[in-house]
Amino acid sequence: MNAPVSSDLTQLSMTESADAFARGDVTAEALVKASLARIDAHDGKVNSVIRLDRDAALEAAAAQDKARAAGKPLGKLAGAPMMHKDMYYRAGKVSTCGSKIRRDFVAPTTATVLERLDAAGAIDMGTLNMAEFAQNPTGHNAHHGDCHNPWNLAYCTGGSSSGSGAGVAARFFTAALGSDTGGSIRLPATICGVTGIKGTQTRVSRAGVMPLSFSADNVGPLTRTARDAARFMAVIAGHDPKDPTSSREPVPDYEAALTGDIKGKRVVVLETTFLDGADEPVAAAFEESMKVLAAQGAVVTRITAPEIMRAVNAYTAVVSRVEGATIHGNWMRGRSEDYAIHLSARLFGGYAIPGHYYVEALSRRGPLLRRFVAEVMGSADLVATPTLKTRVPTLAETDIDADAANWERFMAVSYNTRPFNYLGLPTVSIPCGFDDRGLPIGLQLAGRPYAEGTVLQAADAYQRVTDWHLRSPAL
Amino acid sequence: MMEPDLVVPTMEAIRRWAGVSVPNAAARQGLADMKGMIAEIEAVRAAMVFEDEPSSFEAALAALKEAP
Repeated sequence: MNAPVSSDLTQLSMTESADAFARGDVTAEALVKASLARIDAHDGKVNSVIRLDRDAALEAAAAQDKARAAGKPLGKLAGAPMMHKDMYYRAGKVSTCGSKIRRDFVAPTTATVLERLDAAGAIDMGTLNMAEFAQNPTGHNAHHGDCHNPWNLAYCTGGSSSGSGAGVAARFFTAALGSDTGGSIRLPATICGVTGIKGTQTRVSRAGVMPLSFSADNVGPLTRTARDAARFMAVIAGHDPKDPTSSREPVPDYEAALTGDIKGKRVVVLETTFLDGADEPVAAAFEESMKVLAAQGAVVTRITAPEIMRAVNAYTAVVSRVEGATIHGNWMRGRSEDYAIHLSARLFGGYAIPGHYYVEALSRRGPLLRRFVAEVMGSADLVATPTLKTRVPTLAETDIDADAANWERFMAVSYNTRPFNYLGLPTVSIPCGFDDRGLPIGLQLAGRPYAEGTVLQAADAYQRVTDWHLRSPAL
Repeated sequence: MMEPDLVVPTMEAIRRWAGVSVPNAAARQGLADMKGMIAEIEAVRAAMVFEDEPSSFEAALAALKEAP
């Protein structure tokens, strides 16, 4: 027997919403109206929304209700209200990319991921705040206003998918697309206390998506649970003829693999590098999460991080900076004053990096991945680290445009996430505790190439015996 | 703190090669920090041999995937 549907529909996760809709327990219209009401009541404080497509969302919900009443087949995400980072193009709609430069940019095409979500019946309610051109790890935005952490409005949300993390945490909608080039899904996930996954490099089509760094960009969801992420990823992953770089690896049924059984899974903790200098509450929550996984039958071992991490970090910076600078070349030549100070400064540095550095960084990516897997994952299924080594910083202490002295703290935010972009490995972040100031802490789990299913299986198993992911902020 | 020697010639090289002028003081400061990147690349380069054979990141992903 199914549990009764919560009277507050915004408390339902994505899969709970879609399943309740499929059973006929709730209408899509009711789900969307509950989301809209919550946004109206609270987003004035959080600032997660850039554009709310109220009428279009209600029309889409009505279409889903009509389809269900007519007995038509329903998509896996039918009825679930969502919003997405404002860099996924929808033909005829403005996609600001969080910038002043593209404030009036009307997208000429629709992103493949949006088409796949539409086909699965998801309700797209509009677009979300983000770091300008997805280029910072904190969520600051000089043009659309900073997004605020719903757990404490003085704190940053993490970026660059700031509105995606904050809005899912605030229960404004059930799920959101983010993008991740150095941690931009996993950072807002950990900092806002939700679940976020980036797949193996090229796992999800990037057609119709604003580029930041072609080699490291990833499309993925922020959701409340690993089960939500599994269903969402199964909808959006897979080859797309419009994106010839997208992988042809078959996409398994991730959700079907969520058995809760992780007995014998081998989890390796990299004791150095990723834990060096970790704040005490973060280290304690991380260690506790390892005990939870071990109690479920996972075999947790510890090793020193391999020497190649230094090369991985150095080359990561080269690739993203050169590609970012190249993509922004025309605007940097003509209207650099229209960027936030920190962004034009970062892009400018990218032009200083010589071509042979870039070629070197790309040519060593394969060999370094091989060495990482051999030295770290040779006898392991998963690598575990804290997603963010420090407690969540405030907006003020990571505002580098206000004070350049904040630079180190700003850059430290993505220290543990960036390497997994260069290495291209599937990586999830899930909530694993709260610090002494009441801000979330996240656990990062990375798997071998194309092991999204294993990563999500472990995340789901953890969430079956913990309740960090069920807590929601008081707004 | 004195500005490193590399800043002015690098700004000039960027202007000539990319047609981009330094946008603000923070960008100029950022060029000074490039010394760190150069040092890191030099350090890791010494520890790795540039491979003669073409290598593909995508091929590595496929070769290293999880066993079914």
